[in-house]
Amino acid sequence: MLNKCIYIIIIILLSMDINAQDVEGTIVYNRKTDWISIMSRLPFMTQEEIDRNRLTWGKRSGRGRNYNLYLKGNKSVYTYGENESESGWSWKSEEYVLVRDHKSKKATDAREFLGKKYVIKDEMPKYKWKILNEIKEIEGYLCMKAETKDPIKGQTIHAWFTDGINFFGGPEGFSGLPGMILEIVVNESDVVISATSIDFEQADVKLPIPKKMKGKEIDFAVFDNKVKDFIDQSIEGERNPFWRIRY
Amino acid sequence: MVAETLLSKIINSVERHMKKVFISLLMVMFTHLVYSQSTFNVKGVIEDTLGNPLIYSTVLLLDTDSTMVDFTRSELDGSFRFKGVSSGEYLVKTTFVGFIPLHSKVNSRGGKDVDLGILKMSELAAELMEIVIKAAKAQIKMRGDTIEYDVSTFKVPDGSTVEDLIRKLPGMEVDQDGAMRSDGKDVTEVTVDGKSFFGNNPKAATQNLPSESISKVQVFDRKTEEEEITGSTAQSQEKTMNLELKEDFKTGGFGRVVAGVGTEDRKEIKGNFNRFNEKIQFSLVGVGNNTGRNGLSWDDYQDFLGSQSFNFDSNLEYGFGGGGNKFFFFSGGSNSLESSIQSVFFQGRQNSGFPENYNGGANFNYDHNKLKISSVYYYNQAGLVSTTETDRDRFFPNFVQNEEGSNQKDDISRGHRGEFTIESELDSLHSIKFEFNAAAIDQEKIYNGENDLFRNSIYQSRGVVNNVNLQSGYLGNSALIFRKKFKKKGRRIGMNISYLFTHLNDDRDQKSLTTFFDENGVEESRLDLNQFNANVGDKKVFKANAIFVEPLSKKFFFQTFANHSQRRETGEREVLDRKENSDIVNEFLTRTSINNIDMNRVGASMRYSHNGVNITTGLAYQQFELSGSYSSINESLFSGEIDRGFNNVIPHLAVNYTPGRNMYLSMGYTRTANEPQIQDLQPVIDNANPLFITEGNPDLTPQVGNDINAYMSRSFPASGIRISLNGRFTLFDNYIGRSESIDDQGITSYKPINIEDGNQGNIWFSVNLPIIQNKFTTRWNLSTNVSDLPAQVNGVMNNTKVVTLNPRLTISYTPTKDFLLSLNGFYRNSNTSYDINSSQDQTVINKGFELEFNTKLVGGIYLASRLNYNKFTNDRFGQDLSVPILNASIYRQFLKGNKGELRLAIYDAFDENVSLQQGTYGNGISQSLTNALGRYVMLSFTYNIKGLQSGVNKRRGFH
Repeated sequence: MLNKCIYIIIIILLSMDINAQDVEGTIVYNRKTDWISIMSRLPFMTQEEIDRNRLTWGKRSGRGRNYNLYLKGNKSVYTYGENESESGWSWKSEEYVLVRDHKSKKATDAREFLGKKYVIKDEMPKYKWKILNEIKEIEGYLCMKAETKDPIKGQTIHAWFTDGINFFGGPEGFSGLPGMILEIVVNESDVVISATSIDFEQADVKLPIPKKMKGKEIDFAVFDNKVKDFIDQSIEGERNPFWRIRY
Repeated sequence: MVAETLLSKIINSVERHMKKVFISLLMVMFTHLVYSQSTFNVKGVIEDTLGNPLIYSTVLLLDTDSTMVDFTRSELDGSFRFKGVSSGEYLVKTTFVGFIPLHSKVNSRGGKDVDLGILKMSELAAELMEIVIKAAKAQIKMRGDTIEYDVSTFKVPDGSTVEDLIRKLPGMEVDQDGAMRSDGKDVTEVTVDGKSFFGNNPKAATQNLPSESISKVQVFDRKTEEEEITGSTAQSQEKTMNLELKEDFKTGGFGRVVAGVGTEDRKEIKGNFNRFNEKIQFSLVGVGNNTGRNGLSWDDYQDFLGSQSFNFDSNLEYGFGGGGNKFFFFSGGSNSLESSIQSVFFQGRQNSGFPENYNGGANFNYDHNKLKISSVYYYNQAGLVSTTETDRDRFFPNFVQNEEGSNQKDDISRGHRGEFTIESELDSLHSIKFEFNAAAIDQEKIYNGENDLFRNSIYQSRGVVNNVNLQSGYLGNSALIFRKKFKKKGRRIGMNISYLFTHLNDDRDQKSLTTFFDENGVEESRLDLNQFNANVGDKKVFKANAIFVEPLSKKFFFQTFANHSQRRETGEREVLDRKENSDIVNEFLTRTSINNIDMNRVGASMRYSHNGVNITTGLAYQQFELSGSYSSINESLFSGEIDRGFNNVIPHLAVNYTPGRNMYLSMGYTRTANEPQIQDLQPVIDNANPLFITEGNPDLTPQVGNDINAYMSRSFPASGIRISLNGRFTLFDNYIGRSESIDDQGITSYKPINIEDGNQGNIWFSVNLPIIQNKFTTRWNLSTNVSDLPAQVNGVMNNTKVVTLNPRLTISYTPTKDFLLSLNGFYRNSNTSYDINSSQDQTVINKGFELEFNTKLVGGIYLASRLNYNKFTNDRFGQDLSVPILNASIYRQFLKGNKGELRLAIYDAFDENVSLQQGTYGNGISQSLTNALGRYVMLSFTYNIKGLQSGVNKRRGFH
């Protein structure tokens, strides 16, 4: 009996080791979008139009937008960070709060799609990661490269993750790698979400989970279908769907 | 018996259930058996080369295609274990900071557990570790013994060689003589794209190739041929370096030529060429035609000006703005001296008269490393020969003056324009920009016309006019702009100064003969005018502007600005009366003038900006100082001085609200004050045109209006519905109108006056309503204009009220990519009423439609057609005129990649050859009918190096 107890404790300890996500802190990511590159991928664009867009707009680049990933216990929350507006002009942002419970593998997301608010309650999405052989350093952490595909938006996603941070999460809801994802690169350069500051010194991180999430409750499958329908419809009408929806 | 049956039933049922339970149990056991048979465990121990366990290293279980199946971490003794792995081939990848990742193959046959034993990981050489740490953001790939550097992340000055670049790469050493060492080993071979064509001298490549041409540097152990063949991994003491050349994927370009010949001697040619890469954009464009289609589209505009196409920050006069809304608009669109290249570019489109246009230019933009240079030259020449018939009625308290005329014009204008801009980002907080524009124009306008004037249908006078006008001038304009940001986020300063000078010569040869008749139609008198009028005008404008923005908190922003401008104008006008033998100076009309206008404005505003709500309130104080002098050459005849000052307070309010991405609301109020034209202040009579005499008014005060605007838009992206509403209303406190009087002979005198009344406004509403998304769409549009502007007519105040209602419906049907049918129907009802003569109230109706039909025919041939149908109705002129214009073409694309196109087109198929215009103004109404080209057929050929599209369904806007 005692042996059994010890065995169970060891098992628990071991499994805790794997799930040990007692990391507490905040990671700030900067998300930059390359609109020219996104446009260039649309199937109805001719080479001439792609070149023209690059010629006219290619030299303009934005400063990107900051997002914060808050970590505490087994939970993480990913949402907008501080973005100072240079012109002092405020635009309303779409609803975007991704709450992840890495222990129960549950996701609770507040998202907006085409002006409608949704609450997605579902299992955390599972990604099929391919581990690649490249390494690079991001904010002092040595990162390995992994690859996955998003069939809905037709994207190849590269993640740079580090086993130096013992929390198996990442920005934009990506997870499932043996460490923290510090950079996401969508389709080579279309969108780059890169950690710009990592702070584990904070005393008591408050997870900014909204008290009440407004919106229709759905799951990822339904949400993805909506996205897919809109993309298909826009492409049929030769419009860029990504002016309206998150890339 | 009953009980027995019941019992057996129960037993039966239990048995049946038992059977099911047993079968399920069996199945569970079986699957478990199968499952346990096809899974296995993997274990191993990770140690360094000295035999110490590597604790907590990450161990990945990968599929043979590197897909991650599972992961774990090593224990305190370096051991790890994967349980229940499905049978098959795997890779175990172990990683530990400071060690080279290790791959081990795992292959389980028949579910046998695999023990990888002790996996020895070797330490990353100190130099290599340094690469990884030092290289910071640099992407470094490691494949076995190969290190790959992505050189785009290492910055070297322009013109550097590859050797300079390699010096920057961590872990690489370069001797003074160029010999290279990596990881302590000599680099003895350099290959480019894997090819070793530099012989045995590795320095030949690195010292001669420019660093910009390289995308990657790879360094790996040099293998002897034997090693290469045998696959032996003996540690080599020599290294090979491979330089991967950059794919020049950022280079792009366009090239197009269109040439066409037609009946009626119509010709057109257009060509453009453009090359660009990361840093440089170069383009040429040229157009010549006598068809009135200048042929230049927005695409051509963008291809020509490239990154300089849309400069949102070109407004240097800072004010209350500076918000998130940045609109780009073209100013004017005329050929005048101060027109910009942007507005001249689209010039030369006429659908009336006989045009002949030539345009062309070159543009060069450079943008690299915080330095931007752009320079552009553009020439345009527009010629137009036209014949116009006009019919005009003007209403007075107790009579109507009718004017019937016809005129021939022969105009040509030429302009050279150049712009040069250099902008440098001094550091991340400071930037400086210098602009210089120069232009030169010359124009020749010949006008020959005849006018018959009637008063209440009684013939009054006949005028014959022959004028020749030659104009030439030049302009120089320069501006220096400085922008500074502060460390405190959001705090910034903008300052600029600019100086403009223009010089304009305007010579007019004016000949007119006016014959006046009495009530019986008998000639009463004649007025013969033969003058030469030479004007020389110089203008110098200096402006200085500054703005300062201070964020008071995350939500409140304070902004203050100052504008100063000085305008100095001198004018000389010499009028000679041409007599039979000699020219005599006309002392009354010959004069000189000096006009100075100084403006100072200071203002401040406060903005609340949070969560999609932006509210700006502000106040400015504006001061005008108008001074000047005017004099006849004979000062005793007339001379005078003007010295007037005006002060105005300008309040400003703007509210913007974006509750989400699909909705936008804004409204605003501002007061505007515009100073009178200084010429209008000179109390001098000008009778250059003996039938229209103007006189200045020294008592004029600025025009002051209150401007209210509102805008709303809402879209439903899922259904494609979009609604927008836009309204603007101006209420004048003080309106600069005119006093008009007409004498018995029909001679009109004008004088500007202030009127404390008047308003005008418009509302615009539109709905995009798709019936079937992407296939069948409708757009509903309604615009209304209201104006109530008073003027004094023969001493009586007249309010002319104009209400215009303009509904429009567009239906588009595009069932496939190769079919478009679109109908755009419109109706325009303009209702005008006159206070002084309500018997003349009238309604002008213009209705019609535009039908577009494009489709693919057989054999790769396409059809494009457009029918414009306009119907004009006006009771006053007894007018009921329909003008249908049909243009159609068939075309076929050919050559590889559809680079060529042959097109046969017919224009104005019904040979209507007219263009009609109608309008009401002040106390009058007019209509004019101008001749146009009429029917012609044209055959044209297009060659496009990028290939062509059929363009049946044209896409609009940005993607």
